[in-house]
Amino acid sequence: MTAATANTSSLSWYEAGARQRIDALLDPRSFSEFIGPEQRETSPHLPIFDLPRQFDDGIIVGRGRLGGLPVLLAAQEGRFMGGAFGEVHGAKLTGLLRAARMLGQNVLILFDTGGVRLQEANAGELAIAEIMRAVIEARRAGVRVIGLIGGRAGCYGGGSLIAGTCSSLIVSEQGRISVSGPEVIETNKGVEEFDSRDRALVWRTMGGKHRYLIGGADIFVDDDASAFRQASIEALQCQARCDLPMIEAEQRRLERRLKHFGEANDAVEIWQAVGIDKPAEIPGLPTEEYLRRAADKRENADDAR
Amino acid sequence: MNDWGMQKRALGERLAAGRRHAAGKIVPIPELPEFLKAVIRSGDRVCLEGDNQKQADILASALADLDSRDIRDLHMVQSGVVLPAHLDIFEKGIARRLDFSYSGPQSARIARMLFGGKIELGAVHTYLELFARYFIDLTPQVALIAAVSADKHGNLYTGPNTEDTPTVVEATSYKNGLVVAQVTEIVDKVPRVDIPGDLVHFVVEAGKPFYVEPLFTRDPAAITETQILTAMLAIKGIYAPYGVRRLNHGIGFNTAAIELLLPTYGERLGLKGKICTHFALNPHPTLIPAIESGWVEQIHCFGSEVGMEDYVAARPDIFFTGPDGSLRSNRAFCQTAGLYACDMFIGSTLQIDLDGHSSTVTTNRIAGFGGAPNMGSDPRGRRHPSEPWLKAGAEAAPDSLAPLRRGRKLVVQIGETFGDRNVPLFVERLDALELARELDLDLAPVMVYSDDVTHIVTEEGIANLLLCRNRDEREQAIRGVAGYTDIGRARDPRMVERLRERGVIRRPEDLDIDPLDADRSLLAARSIKDLMLASGGLYRPPTRFRNW
Repeated sequence: MTAATANTSSLSWYEAGARQRIDALLDPRSFSEFIGPEQRETSPHLPIFDLPRQFDDGIIVGRGRLGGLPVLLAAQEGRFMGGAFGEVHGAKLTGLLRAARMLGQNVLILFDTGGVRLQEANAGELAIAEIMRAVIEARRAGVRVIGLIGGRAGCYGGGSLIAGTCSSLIVSEQGRISVSGPEVIETNKGVEEFDSRDRALVWRTMGGKHRYLIGGADIFVDDDASAFRQASIEALQCQARCDLPMIEAEQRRLERRLKHFGEANDAVEIWQAVGIDKPAEIPGLPTEEYLRRAADKRENADDAR
Repeated sequence: MNDWGMQKRALGERLAAGRRHAAGKIVPIPELPEFLKAVIRSGDRVCLEGDNQKQADILASALADLDSRDIRDLHMVQSGVVLPAHLDIFEKGIARRLDFSYSGPQSARIARMLFGGKIELGAVHTYLELFARYFIDLTPQVALIAAVSADKHGNLYTGPNTEDTPTVVEATSYKNGLVVAQVTEIVDKVPRVDIPGDLVHFVVEAGKPFYVEPLFTRDPAAITETQILTAMLAIKGIYAPYGVRRLNHGIGFNTAAIELLLPTYGERLGLKGKICTHFALNPHPTLIPAIESGWVEQIHCFGSEVGMEDYVAARPDIFFTGPDGSLRSNRAFCQTAGLYACDMFIGSTLQIDLDGHSSTVTTNRIAGFGGAPNMGSDPRGRRHPSEPWLKAGAEAAPDSLAPLRRGRKLVVQIGETFGDRNVPLFVERLDALELARELDLDLAPVMVYSDDVTHIVTEEGIANLLLCRNRDEREQAIRGVAGYTDIGRARDPRMVERLRERGVIRRPEDLDIDPLDADRSLLAARSIKDLMLASGGLYRPPTRFRNW
């Protein structure tokens, strides 16, 4: 155990590694890992590029208890290849979700990912599709799939698509959710469209506060492992329903969103339109005050999410 | 009969020519090109104000837009060659000769232009040296400076970024030179008079603030655990035993880590009030937690730092502020303070050789010196004693008679054995030597000379060079903290072990430091936002540093 996990009360989720997050999230000593690093199930693709492998391929999957109840859990390690999905990495998560469906156990996914690994792009893209299918199949069988987003790598690319299929998302201010990353947008559309070095712009466009306000995430927490734990316990109470009327309602909500905010040039305009008082102050507000101003104003995700 | 008033008359002619493009002292911005053409003469020595922070950017662009058929062969004497326009002036042949101090972002282009013969180099100076030469043999005939506001009499308010302005104006105006200022706005009454109007001949209203680079902002999120370990070693192995209270910090991440460890690790060691009470330092955002927890008594600043203005203004007990409440910085005075009134300089570098010479020059880049060689040198003219200074002097020459023994300034180089992109910190031969050969320079650009450096700190430990008695010992002491670099692996293990027994080399375990304790949770702030919160919302970081 490192010095940081010895003091879980102040463990920053953003700063922590995947294993530290698991230790702080689950009930003490309840976690047991599937296909752990000792089995050395490493990427078959990375050596071709002379790149280092990691024995767990950057994702930890296993079972444990949260508030006394059994859960399955996957945690991405953002410090290995930006938490990106490769063949093994993806297969571990697919397998976990299929097990969840069979066992009827809820799943926590601790996202920390830049998307698909470029060096194994085909396998990675396939994995994203398989995972999304497995999430929906598990949810159809009554399982809740909760996403936790607040790591350094954010939740980008295929990771954000998977997040979109989850039953509930927990996000911190540091957490970023977006399909295309800032650099990708800048490269394709130019710096006038999106200046990836303007970090305040990045966070107000993709960061946790904005996503929570527009219904892109369901629970907003401090960057603190114990806050993520409390929120996870709460999220596991959400209703485990996933049917066609619900998905259609969500589709209508997203269409409305596009209609209302599609012309906005900046997140601040959206917050204004939502009815937030003094919207420019949002990024600087401490959590409590932010939640107070967001209450009754934020867009709620429908039951589909 | 000698004519003793030639310079005054020449100034009179420039003033008359300039007034044709001005209303009183105010030059309208559309008139700026014609105005500059009228007041500058080919071959003039020109100081274009700019250093590692503030820039007279509007005047720089206007100067670069002149036609070299009208004005050419200027001799630029300026602290910083930082903006592209600073080198465009040479590219176009408007200027030919250059004496400067710092070139940061233009370091590669300036090297190319020196190789290409576009620039005739006088010398690369430290700030204080260049300022000194303004008063002896590099006095400007024209100074183009920057301020926040002016009144119609030319009284200038520089705001917190006073920096070089008083020095440049003093040297130019009192020696019959012409002073032109760009200001953000003309006002009825300036908040405070930083430069008296009778020293300022013309003012240009730029309509926007002069450019300032946030050079001293280090994001705590980027501090590594290795850097934290070096910081712990420095605090426990150098700051504490010498009792260093008056000091200057460099701008690297290692020293940022030290600043952020004071309220946590330093507090635990019981060092509050015993170290780090007085600084010659820019308002580093990473110092906020230490200031807020009562570690720091006083700070004098070279310049300001973007976003720190309101915080500094709200802490007048700590900083030097004017009657208007805002910071008054002064580079020349602060450099002098750093040289004579500080007992320690600690900073990072890019290369250290086996003698202990260090340099930030790498092949094809001339970054200049700025102030580090001045801070990082032992002042031979110092006469006042202090505990760290005397202790260091005694370590260097234990057998000499104490009342006749000079003290020594502590000059500490701190870094990881492998730096950015895994480039080794320790080298057989400095790249600076190659550069000097290629450019035919008399002196290789060395940042800190080996006879000034007293300690080298890496994650492997501390080498105390004051305790080395000959060149061999010195070399092995350096190899001894060079880890797995080629230099480190070529050490003589037996000699290194003997040096360790004598305390010349001290490993983390010799200081009772467990490297596993070097954890980011020790940092008093782990993000820019933490710093903002620690300041009570007074620190307003530039958007590029915000992740919220």
